[in-house]
Amino acid sequence: MTTNSTAKNHLTGTEVFWLALKTGLLTVVTLGIYRFWAKTRMRQLFWAGTELDGDRFEYTGTGLEKFKGFLIAVVFLAVYLGLLQMLLLFLGLNVLREPQSDMEMAAQVGGFYLIFFALLPFILFATYRAQRYRMSRTRWRGIRFGMDSAAWGYVWRALGHGLLTLLTLGLLLPRMTFFLEKYRTDRTWFGTARFEQRGRWQDLYLAMKHLLIGLAILIVGVGVGAMVGAPAVMVLAGVVGYIWIIVGAIHYGVQSFAYLTRNKLLDGQVMFDAAPRTGFVIYTYVVGGLGAALITGVLLAVLGGIGAAMIGAFSGFEAGRGMPGFGGIAVIGLGYLASLAIGAAVAMALITRPIIAHYTDTLTVRGTDALNAIRQRAYDAGADAEGFADALDVGGAL
Amino acid sequence: MNGTGTLNDGLTAARHAVMLRLSPDRQAIEITGDTLPAPLRWMLADLRALPGPVGAPHLVLTRHAATEDEAPRDPARLTVDDPDLVVWLRRSRPALFQTDLHPGTRRRLVRAALMAVAAIAVLLLVILPGLANTLARLIPLKTEIAFGESVIAQMERAVGAASLGALRCDAPAGRAALDRMVARLSDGRDLGYDLKVHVFDHPMINAFAAPGGQVVIMRGLLDQAPDGVLGADAVAGVLAHEFGHVANRDATRNALRVAGTAGILSMVVGDVAGSAVLVAVAQQMLDSSYTRDAETKADVFALDMLAGANIDADGFAAFFDRLAQEEGRLKLPEYFSSHPATDGRALAARSFAEGQAVTTPVLSEADWTDLKSICAKP
Repeated sequence: MTTNSTAKNHLTGTEVFWLALKTGLLTVVTLGIYRFWAKTRMRQLFWAGTELDGDRFEYTGTGLEKFKGFLIAVVFLAVYLGLLQMLLLFLGLNVLREPQSDMEMAAQVGGFYLIFFALLPFILFATYRAQRYRMSRTRWRGIRFGMDSAAWGYVWRALGHGLLTLLTLGLLLPRMTFFLEKYRTDRTWFGTARFEQRGRWQDLYLAMKHLLIGLAILIVGVGVGAMVGAPAVMVLAGVVGYIWIIVGAIHYGVQSFAYLTRNKLLDGQVMFDAAPRTGFVIYTYVVGGLGAALITGVLLAVLGGIGAAMIGAFSGFEAGRGMPGFGGIAVIGLGYLASLAIGAAVAMALITRPIIAHYTDTLTVRGTDALNAIRQRAYDAGADAEGFADALDVGGAL
Repeated sequence: MNGTGTLNDGLTAARHAVMLRLSPDRQAIEITGDTLPAPLRWMLADLRALPGPVGAPHLVLTRHAATEDEAPRDPARLTVDDPDLVVWLRRSRPALFQTDLHPGTRRRLVRAALMAVAAIAVLLLVILPGLANTLARLIPLKTEIAFGESVIAQMERAVGAASLGALRCDAPAGRAALDRMVARLSDGRDLGYDLKVHVFDHPMINAFAAPGGQVVIMRGLLDQAPDGVLGADAVAGVLAHEFGHVANRDATRNALRVAGTAGILSMVVGDVAGSAVLVAVAQQMLDSSYTRDAETKADVFALDMLAGANIDADGFAAFFDRLAQEEGRLKLPEYFSSHPATDGRALAARSFAEGQAVTTPVLSEADWTDLKSICAKP
């Protein structure tokens, strides 16, 4: 007999909003330094708000270790980037013979991509290490999760799969999605028990269908429209195809996650069932996004009104000196930053929380009784504590 | 105070249903359970709670203990569901939500922060500028001239030229007068470049030095020069200043340095609301400290050049007076501006002029008139 348990998210939008607002404002006031603690506190809330089989998850990371990891990463990257950019300009100048401005434009664009490709390995490295850090700081029933120290292996594979996907114009995207997820999953642990990714990459084409349909509408519609000389058909196919592709991309993200989760196995016996709905995710993005934009917009409009009134007062006082004093500018500037922080907190409450809750509430674990025998794993120092990811702005709000 | 709870011993993922009881000496919680090998005793003073949703009915407890972990916490967890016990714990244990650090954490963090700041400072203030100097010397002359031409083309576009060359002024008589001025200034000096001076038809009162010995004067500078032949001397002073930048390869060096430092500050500040403003301010302060230094050197060079050509530095001083008028109230503090304070520069030029012996105007009245109409269409 197996025992099943469905995960449950207990967070309300209100408590997510207030914590996001508090930490966001503290981040503004501290010129960004608080952001490591802000992220840590948000994670503590989200982890503690998630229940599986009667027990809450726990996030044990600290803001201090994140800050320290960031310091190390930023020094390394600053040296690397500074020297690289300067040498590129020097080489670029030496390559540049004919100062045609189009040529120069091309050289600049090329230089930009060179910088991106020079950073790409570190971005991939940071992605894996960030996930490893989050895993090492996640516990359930007091037992640590963990991931093997294998970030460079991930970098080479991701570069290879990325190149292959690019060369096949995205046709091998499911192969990349599958094998990169398999690489990560097969190195993930709960205590002494290992996760395993099963399934076939070809199955992911089912999740990709709307992406392909959208693409077909775009190509066929625009092609036919161009052939019979009907611009209206071209525009219609363009708009419909474009929207279909966006929806298809979200569908792929949600359903490939669901497929990969359904084919994960823990300790050779614990199975997972995931049934997130694409429609819910899109609905939340649209409605939550509109709500967040509306609230931020109203705040900024009010602020703009106050600013305009202040400038008006000054110019009425003495013509030609339509500048508010330093205090006025500071008030408007702080108000602007605070409005952005409020907007981000609203987005956290109206978009991030419902979507995470949806993923949680549609996740079922089969065979939870087998979990009882799993033993503790050793502490992982966490390497740079996500420092590279923070310095390179990889990863979102959580 | 008695109650029930669930214990995770930190060794396996099993749950133990436990009974909780305050010890007779009121110093600890005694934890007993059928599945526990032996009763546990958790000191009240060591009790800590995990942060969680504010309104949660339960409390997850752990203990303050010297461990290797990210925080000094025992890996065992005790979940208390009993509402009375939760209330009692929250009320009677003020240290419940206290943050504990490993000993020495603060010291290590301060050390790491100081080292990081020092490393970034050395990079931005020493290594990258030094490397820019070296690379600026290594660039072949031909390349530098080509780079300069593209910089000038960009500048021409930026001030609104419809097509390349549309703003360049080249009336033959004015050009001849300008060439005479350049020849007199640079007579007997080797700046390392063939000097090339362009005039742009634009009202801005300014002049620029581009890489590779190329200098641009805006028409506004000619229009707004002081009255009479003193005006020609003023223009000569500005040109000499720009030639100072040319001799020091400032433009090339600056381009290399900016390329190296770009992006580093924004990486340090991070992706925070409003960080763009912060980065722009910091970048401005960093850049201005270099350019201010370069401007001072170019001023010294200009005065020396004027003296060598027997041109009155009073014209140069008059130009700064004119500039000070333009600046008016919109004056930035010196540390924020790319140029040294204008009144100080005027003063320096004026006192230099007093020490000059015999001087002759740089151009004749007629030549000066020709130069002023270099932008006139034939």
